[in-house]
Amino acid sequence: MRTVRTIIPFAVLLTLGVGVACKKPAPAPAPEPEAPKVQAPAPAAAVDDMAAKRAAEEAAKRQAEEAARKAEEAKLAAYRKAAADVLQDINFAYDKSDVREVDKPKLQAIADFMKAYPQAKVQIEGHCDERGTVEYNLALGERRAHTAQAYLVTLGTGEARLPFISYGKERPKVQGMDEESWLINRRCEFKLQ
Amino acid sequence: MMRWMLGMLLGVFTTLLAQVPNQEVVLSASAGSRVGVAFPAPQVAGLDAGLVNRELRDVVVSDLDDAGPFSVITKSLPASTEPPAYPAWVQTGTDWLLVCRVSAQAASEMEVLLRVVDVKSGKPIFNKRYTGKAAVMRRVAHTIADDLTARLTGEKGVATSRIVFVRQLAPGVKEIFQVDRDGANLHQITHHRSLSLSPTIAADGRIAYVTYKGGAPEIWGQVKAGGPDVKIYPRGDSPAGHCFAPAWSPDGRRLALVQGDRRGNSDIVVFDLGSGRVRRLTDSNCINTEPSWNPAGTQIAFTSDREGSPQVYLMEDDGSNVRRLTREGNYNASPAWSPNGSMIAYVSRFEGKFDLFVYKLGEGKSYQITTGVASSESPSWSSDERQIVFSSGSLGGMRIYTTDLSGNTVRKLTEFAGCQSPKWTGTR
Repeated sequence: MRTVRTIIPFAVLLTLGVGVACKKPAPAPAPEPEAPKVQAPAPAAAVDDMAAKRAAEEAAKRQAEEAARKAEEAKLAAYRKAAADVLQDINFAYDKSDVREVDKPKLQAIADFMKAYPQAKVQIEGHCDERGTVEYNLALGERRAHTAQAYLVTLGTGEARLPFISYGKERPKVQGMDEESWLINRRCEFKLQ
Repeated sequence: MMRWMLGMLLGVFTTLLAQVPNQEVVLSASAGSRVGVAFPAPQVAGLDAGLVNRELRDVVVSDLDDAGPFSVITKSLPASTEPPAYPAWVQTGTDWLLVCRVSAQAASEMEVLLRVVDVKSGKPIFNKRYTGKAAVMRRVAHTIADDLTARLTGEKGVATSRIVFVRQLAPGVKEIFQVDRDGANLHQITHHRSLSLSPTIAADGRIAYVTYKGGAPEIWGQVKAGGPDVKIYPRGDSPAGHCFAPAWSPDGRRLALVQGDRRGNSDIVVFDLGSGRVRRLTDSNCINTEPSWNPAGTQIAFTSDREGSPQVYLMEDDGSNVRRLTREGNYNASPAWSPNGSMIAYVSRFEGKFDLFVYKLGEGKSYQITTGVASSESPSWSSDERQIVFSSGSLGGMRIYTTDLSGNTVRKLTEFAGCQSPKWTGTR
């Protein structure tokens, strides 16, 4: 027992020590900082020059990386903004799945976005209002989502980039028992994947 | 066998003490006149008498009251249950007098001795000993009620049955729950934290349902009774497409379900679990959904908009001989074939809300069951065909109700809203 008692504090200290050492972030690989010391001493001015040069190179590299990162972020932000701008719901008449004339420009904008961003993939969700049975509405949501997909395919987007899914009446956008709410809920949503 | 397994699962063991040899059916359920039953407070030893009255006696009385062929006598009951008092019991309208002793030696194990006396003849007609944990007293009570219904009518009662349904826990999150027929014992079955819908229960208690847990809707459930929930369909070699509306065949070997195709159409397919074979029953440019088997497993009722609006159709289980059942109204859906096969319940829409109807196949006529201000959906039959469970209410406010076929006795089963797709099951 005594042995165990004495060992534990050491073990704890050891573990803590190791733990702290491990937690330290690995330093950025400096370009051989020890090298000047082991070589024959160079004139102080030359050492300073070399150090300054290295520091400048480092700074330039960091700046370039930062700029690239920012450019990437800006590109992504632009992509997300473009997506948010064009991925607007389209709505349907009661128990219908035809694309309404009023929604065709929205689908055109989505097709243009898909052309501008060839890597984009968008899931089409079909939804229904609450009037109708659970199962029939799930089927109706499939049909609505497919109608939107088919229309986008005619505008030049590949089917594979437009997977669709139905949520029937299970995920209404608004709560309400009036024509306005029902129209909002009879919709296709377009979700960037 | 089923009853025995159910008993085992619940930890309720019933033992026959002295079975009365004469077990002929006393009265046909359709005979019209009801049997007066009286259940005075049981003699209690080793348990709280109030608890026994509440969880055993009151539950038996309520079950018998709901069962149909009984009329529960509650007024001016004689104090004695001994033979000299029998004529006084007859005076109250009592036919059957339930004499019950409840005792518990250990805190958990209880014994219920039930004797039923026909007070007119003075003869005992039922005698049985029930044992079980005090914690499942309600379960023992339901078993007693079903035994008495069986003694009277020769048919199994529904007191021990349960309702499985879908409940919304948060926007976009729906799980499957079950509750006893009398609204007690709420229990959550699935924990997918996703959208889980459309439960179906096989005769042996196996559940199947739709879940979006993997993203796209798939059929999950039990391949073996009591087994874990696994993905049932689609399988690796199944045709691709979203899956909805599963329905176990009466023998539990096949699953009818709805599969969406790449063109947005929905078709009914039958998946044979044993062979893995998939057979497509419908193939048209339209919606086919809500399959419901006849009790023989030879025909399927379903909803289709093939003629423009949703209507109920029937077909053979190979997809042949499709014929339209509903003629009136422009939205008829959710067919539910009755357990003996002679009726089909469905919903019909009028002025934006649904009501329940029952189509009697022998008569070729429909009867309206509910006439509520709310919309009533998703009918499902009790095994004795005396009642239908359904969901009713408005947006987000759907609750589960039961009704008799007259529509006069409508009972609310759940107090909380956000419920849908109830299925009446004898076995879970």
